[in-house]
Amino acid sequence: MPDLIIDNKKIQVAKGTRVIDAAQSAGIYIPRFCYFAELGAVGACRVCAVKFIDGPVEGIEMSCMVEAEDGMVVSTDDAEAVDFRRHVIEWMMMNHPHDCPVCDEGGHCLLQDLTVAGGHGIRRFSGKKRTYADQYLGPLISHEENRCIQCYRCSRFYQEYCGYKDLGVMGIAQRIYFGRYKDGVLENPFSGNLIDICPTGVYTDKPSRYTGRKWDFEQSSGVCTTCSLGCSIRVSARYRQVVRLEAGYSQAVNGAFICDRGRYGFSWVNSEKRPRQGRVDKKTMAPQKAAAAAAGRINDLEKQYGPGAIAVAGSGRSSLEALAAWHHLCQIRSWRGFFFDDLAAGPGAAAAVSGLSRENAVSMKAVESADMILAVGADPLREAPMLALAMRQAWRAGAGVFAIDPRDLEWPFAFRQVSAAADEIPGLVSGMATGNGFFENDSRHGRNMAAIRDQLAQSRSPVIVCGTAAGGQATVSAAAGLVQWLRKSKKDARLFGILPMANTFGGILLNGKPGTPEELIKGMESGQIKALVAAQSDLWKTCQDPDRLDRALRRLEFLCAADCVATELVSRADIVIPVFSVFEAGGIYINQEARAQWSQPAHAGGTPVRITGAGGHPPRVIGAAIPGGGLPPAWLAAWQIAGLAPPDSHEAMMDWMTKAYPVTAPVKTMGSEGVRIFPSQ
Amino acid sequence: MRKWVWIVHSLCTGFYTTLKHIFRGPATELYPEYKRPLPARSRARIILTADPDGRERCVACYLCSAACPVDCISMQAAENQQGRRYAAWFRINFGRCIYCGLCEEACPTSAIQLTPSFEHADRDIMKMVAEKADLQVNHCGKDGNYNFYDHAGVADAFRPKGGHANEAPPVNVRTNMP
Repeated sequence: MPDLIIDNKKIQVAKGTRVIDAAQSAGIYIPRFCYFAELGAVGACRVCAVKFIDGPVEGIEMSCMVEAEDGMVVSTDDAEAVDFRRHVIEWMMMNHPHDCPVCDEGGHCLLQDLTVAGGHGIRRFSGKKRTYADQYLGPLISHEENRCIQCYRCSRFYQEYCGYKDLGVMGIAQRIYFGRYKDGVLENPFSGNLIDICPTGVYTDKPSRYTGRKWDFEQSSGVCTTCSLGCSIRVSARYRQVVRLEAGYSQAVNGAFICDRGRYGFSWVNSEKRPRQGRVDKKTMAPQKAAAAAAGRINDLEKQYGPGAIAVAGSGRSSLEALAAWHHLCQIRSWRGFFFDDLAAGPGAAAAVSGLSRENAVSMKAVESADMILAVGADPLREAPMLALAMRQAWRAGAGVFAIDPRDLEWPFAFRQVSAAADEIPGLVSGMATGNGFFENDSRHGRNMAAIRDQLAQSRSPVIVCGTAAGGQATVSAAAGLVQWLRKSKKDARLFGILPMANTFGGILLNGKPGTPEELIKGMESGQIKALVAAQSDLWKTCQDPDRLDRALRRLEFLCAADCVATELVSRADIVIPVFSVFEAGGIYINQEARAQWSQPAHAGGTPVRITGAGGHPPRVIGAAIPGGGLPPAWLAAWQIAGLAPPDSHEAMMDWMTKAYPVTAPVKTMGSEGVRIFPSQ
Repeated sequence: MRKWVWIVHSLCTGFYTTLKHIFRGPATELYPEYKRPLPARSRARIILTADPDGRERCVACYLCSAACPVDCISMQAAENQQGRRYAAWFRINFGRCIYCGLCEEACPTSAIQLTPSFEHADRDIMKMVAEKADLQVNHCGKDGNYNFYDHAGVADAFRPKGGHANEAPPVNVRTNMP
């Protein structure tokens, strides 16, 4: 544990800590352009120079390249170091274009901040500025190479961290160029992070081009609801519109990056097609009135056919609050039940949730330190992209990666695959736990399976990743069994299940056995279910046979939809109740490792100014109410549709939920990294 | 005795000053019959000026709205067909403006300028809200020479990369010659 002094502060840090990080741990920020904790240090930008006054190193050195040692005395504000940094910045600005006013990075640009902080204002060099031709990098990222300061963050991230080769650094001397060999769409599904890590405006966000400046945005820290990983995101909203999502930092989940699907998969929030007004039989009205009308019709049908004729379909798209409300209301009204779409998208989801315990759960960040990874019926790159990036980091650190999967897998790292058919997988996985000599007779998979078994035997902390979509329940149970067996043989084995939706875990946690969509469709076909409430349901999307679902829906007497997305069910519904999305109402989401996280609302809701103003000046009429605002959150809509008095605030709702479902009690005291909630076993 | 001299002296100077002003003309100017020419830099109604080549000068960088202490400027930037950033809409609420001139100071392109024209009071407050068309003029205002896009370094329909002031032609990445 080296002791050192930085700016007269005594600091003790772990061995191997770099001086730049040691200073940061003491609250002293040393400027940097090239240094990024996840990418490591290269000492390319020279702007983190500090003066080492005493100790094993003396003089001006780069603080990112020197590890903290005993007896070091460091000054970050020594006149010589400050002068050095000032000259470095001035030299970087020599070729930087004069385009801050039209650059989207302006306002949250590291180069801009440090240039101002360093006091550089007027370019003293009178020579010509170097220019570059830009490239087309696809519909998501703009390229403006003139602004580059050669920090190498992008090429390091792209090639070393992600393992894709189509973007990198070219040329020599004054002609260093960061880009592709020729124009084209970036192949890396994590390429959006280039926008975040670029210290200046070489890579900027294309969909939100020119939409606003950082100081005008309403910002909040949210949870990505695109897949089950629950990565941390920074949401920027302006003029009642979600403008941009950026990676948030989470030590336990995603580190500093997010995938492109999460970053760009939010256009439905701002969509003009999104339901924003209540609708009863093609007549628009206030959401509350529509909900009251729905409650009336449900009561009538209940009187006519009994409570068993009413069903609710929901999905893991809903927050924990909404799922709890629906579970509870179905129960107290003795309705037919709550049918969970996610069980069609991931038949193995229930097994993945019940197989998880405090001992065998693993955070995504901890997957990076596994020494062996076996993916069973899982394709992380498609089902949970950030997991593929975590697996690559484990592979870079020397872990062996194996896959048992029938599909053609393409991951950005080397792995060995057993191409077994889906129905073979459970046998192969449980075979590893049951006995030796099992695979020697298997001519097709024997050699590869033996390699996996040997690697497992050598490993100390293996992670078994299992998909819930392709393999189904048997595969997930076999994977959970393998983890159990490995743990019995004194290995720190962990289970990482990939669930279909952001809150699949929450839906199953509240009620171990929600109804499946198959049961729901059968109930509708047989005429037993007369009324269906589609509460943020993706039934149409997850259903394998839309024609059959179409016929089943036609037999219903009443279809009600409460949703924030214009789904097929919304367009067919007799009554539509628009609800706030996670960006407006917030919500608790439980990810696949049982981590409950609170996603903050980003703005107060309402129809985007872009829509109310039709692209031009917004309407001049100003009133107390927000146009298109005042929609109920999904949990509130649930109570309204059931015709019961709802808890009168979100706080009251939380109180109610933690009492009605004691398993959720920890959410009341959770911190910024959330809290892990396991089903009581 | 000294006291009396002081009293008489004070009275006389006071009456003398009054007497002197009786024979002078009035200093008050009669507005609106007479409108005094104001200095070019006096601060009143805001305009959006044009580039020396007649094109739109404002690049909708949001700096004026950020500098505005009373939040009376709002806008939305967009990209036009020539590849230039411009304001899709731009609104100044003169009912709220305090004519401090910070927007003009913040403007990197000399687009937004305050003019001496102060006569735009109105009884209807909605008439105090000026939209982009109400603000735009077809001259350069006080800054007759500056053209942001001569120096910006971003390519658009009028200038390619390397075609701006003091710029070298784009680098050829594919050569290894020194």
